[in-house]
Parts: sequence; C-alpha cells; structure tokens
Amino acid sequence: MTTLETAGVVAVGTLVGLDLVSVPQMMISRPLVAGLLGGLVVGNPVAGLGAGAVLELFAMETLPVGAVRYPDWGPGSVAAGALVGARGAGALPSGLLGVVLVVIASAWLGGWLMHVVRRANAASVTARRAELEAGDFGAVRALQWRGLARDAARSVALTAFALAAGDALSLLFAHGWRAPEIVAHVALAAATVGVALASALRLFGHGRSLVWLAGGLGAGTLAAVAWR
Amino acid sequence: MPGFGGALARLFSFQAAWSYERMGGIGFAHSIEPALRALEGGPEGVAYRQAIARQASFFNAHPYFAALAVGAAARAELEGTAPEKIMRLREALCGPLGSVGDRLIWAAWLPACVAVGLILVALGAGLWAALAFLALYNVVHVYSRVWALRAGWSRGLHVAGALTAPGLRVANAAAPPLAAFLVGAALPLSFGWQLRSTPWPAFLVAAAGAAVLIVAVRLAATKANGAALAALVLAAVWVAGLLWW
Repeated sequence: MTTLETAGVVAVGTLVGLDLVSVPQMMISRPLVAGLLGGLVVGNPVAGLGAGAVLELFAMETLPVGAVRYPDWGPGSVAAGALVGARGAGALPSGLLGVVLVVIASAWLGGWLMHVVRRANAASVTARRAELEAGDFGAVRALQWRGLARDAARSVALTAFALAAGDALSLLFAHGWRAPEIVAHVALAAATVGVALASALRLFGHGRSLVWLAGGLGAGTLAAVAWR
Repeated sequence: MPGFGGALARLFSFQAAWSYERMGGIGFAHSIEPALRALEGGPEGVAYRQAIARQASFFNAHPYFAALAVGAAARAELEGTAPEKIMRLREALCGPLGSVGDRLIWAAWLPACVAVGLILVALGAGLWAALAFLALYNVVHVYSRVWALRAGWSRGLHVAGALTAPGLRVANAAAPPLAAFLVGAALPLSFGWQLRSTPWPAFLVAAAGAAVLIVAVRLAATKANGAALAALVLAAVWVAGLLWW
C-alpha cells in the first residue's frame, strides 16, 4: 500500500467512524459498505466488499442503541477491506483470520473510545454550564464541534490501529500457518454464521418472529443448495 | 416551519455532542436553533436565549425520531407556550420516541437492509449489493427525519398523536416479520457463499462448528458476546494451525 493509499484509508476510516453516531448515521459504518470503501481506496472494491460481508455477519449483533456501549465495526472494516484489497488474489484465508481478529479487537476498542469521548463531552458540558443556562448559542455550537472533533480523533486512531495491526498480524498468520488453508476457511465460515445466527435468535427468536425467521432459514437453505 | 431546511440538516448531527450528562440535549438545541431565530427580538432577544437554555437541557430519544420532538418544541416556543409545558412535552416524548425508533429502525429495518445486502453479495451482485443496502436503508432513514420534523411542527403539543399514524402502525406490524424472514434467508446464503468452492465434508464440519458456537453464545448469555467468543475460537484455530504436524 502506498503512502497516499494509507492516507486515503485513514481519511475514509475517519468518515466511517463519524457515521456511527455523530454524523450522518447513513450506515456507511456498516462493514458491508466500509469494507467496500477500503477496497475502493486501493483499487480493489470487490475484494473489500467480500471482507466486509464476512465482517458484517459478526456486526449483526450490534444495534446502535443510544446510551449502550456498542462496538464500532466501521474503521476496522475499512482497514480490512483495504488490506484484503491490496493483497488481491494473494489474500489467504489464514491471513484473513488475522485481519478478522484485529477488526474484532478494534471494534471493541472503538466502543471503549466512544465511552471516553462521551465522558469528555460531559466534562465540556459541565465546564460550560453557566453559558448554557444563559442561553448562549455559541456554547451549544462549540460543544457540537468539539464533540465532532473528538469523534474524528477517535476514528483516526482506530483506523490507524486496525491498519497497522491488521497488516502485521495477517502476515504473521499467513507465514506461520502450517495447516491446509481450508481449515482457516471453514473456521471463519463457522464463526461468522454461528455469531450471526445467535444474534438473529436473540432478535427474532420469540413469538411470531421466530416463525418468520425459521421460514427465512428454510428458504435461504433451499436457495443456497440450488445456487451451489 | 421557519428554518426547516437548517433544522433538518442539523438533525443529521443530532448526536455529535452526545454525553452522559445531557445525552442528546445539546444536539436538540443545535437542531432547533434555526426555527428559534423567528422568536420576537431575533437571535439577540431574551425569548431566543431563554428558549436555547431550555432546549439544551437533558433529552434522549432515537436520533431519527427526535425530529418529531424538535418540530413540536419549535412550534410550542414560537406560539409562546408556557416554559413548564414545553419541558413536560420534551420529557414525555423521550420514552415513546426512543422505543419506536429502536424497535422499528435498529431492531427491524437495519437488520432487514443488511440481510438484503448479504443476500445480494451471496447471489453475486458485487458492488450493487452495498449500493442497494445504502439506497434501501436511507430512503426510510431520510424519509423518517423529514416526516418526523414536519409532523412535529404540524401537531405541536399534540404530537403524541403522530405516533399512532396509520403508516407507522403498518410499519411497526410489518417490519419485524420482514426483517426476521430476510435475516433468516441471508444466513444460509452467506454460509454457502463463503464455502462455495469447498467440498461437502468441509461444509458439514463448518455447519457443526457454527451450531456449537450458537449453543456457546446462548449459554454465555450476558457474560460474553458472540464476537468475543468467536475471537477466542479463531485464536484457538490459529494456534492449532501453527502447531499443525
């Protein structure tokens, strides 16, 4: 990856990180889109989309509900899309295993950093309480911009971490791996679909929704067999 | 509504200053401000400053449906409604707007659109899968914000009635089953897509592994989430791959 591409990945990761909560919440932070964008930066959007689709299955358990601390999959997915995209056909399942582990770690780190940002926002609000109670709109505007700046800084750090760690770990995994590549391939498929189905059961595993979920699973299985 | 465009644009950054102290209160004041400029005396007036102070207080709701409260509060402020009534309106709307948005958008529409994206990836739609996901999701996202701001402004203090609008009732009834079906359909297709070039025995091993992980996630319940358990499994697989004879 060139320096320009690295800068591009960090810039896109920052936009994606801001999308999760701050602005505009149009879901470019979902791995499906974020992975594609990462791949696009390095000229291989299809490979990025593939990595994003794998990560999306993990992210299905994340619902961005207000005050809850939830993982941030976006910046890590941009980095993953770029790393897989840059390696093209040379991206081995064992290497992808390393990237996936880093993205899971970065998603957790992103959620924790969001908590730090929110605490910092609260401290700023406390510091400006007198101005807010006097109805000073300048204080409101300043708080908005500071909140955005903190979230942007969080997103830059997260993307840079995922890119550096993902690059190192994917190489380490691919070089040290001695088992057939199909083992990594099968492990990834089992882990992603296992997590996604557990999330689906948590969301829809009751009442009438369970019937619809079962119907979907049946229809999807038939389609998958036919497609294979 | 005066300043409709400005308020709508600012609603997209409703949660930029989200904090544990006032939650979305700062975003609320930031979003409603273009409408408050029409108060007597303009941005330099006493009414404007008092309204900003009120609207910057604690508020928490789903970010898309918060627009309903912003529209209603703007109308109440411009009609000169008593401050206590405006504060009561904001407080009363927090719970219902949060509940409607969480149930309809986060727990139904978002998973449904993600599922459509995954199905399209599995069927080989390529880049169109991500574009379809974004387009589908954001039609409802942007419409929700525009509708909510308009409905809040047109109903004012009687905004609670908007939550029983026929369209919203139909969406509430239809979205969860639709999402459940689409998510159900997406998972086997994604599984098949990931293992499209592998032999059947590997397919069966992966299916058994997924089943074990589902049981583990259900058993772990609140102690660990699925991704954390998956990370443990994948790390163990990596160690096994290193030690392979």
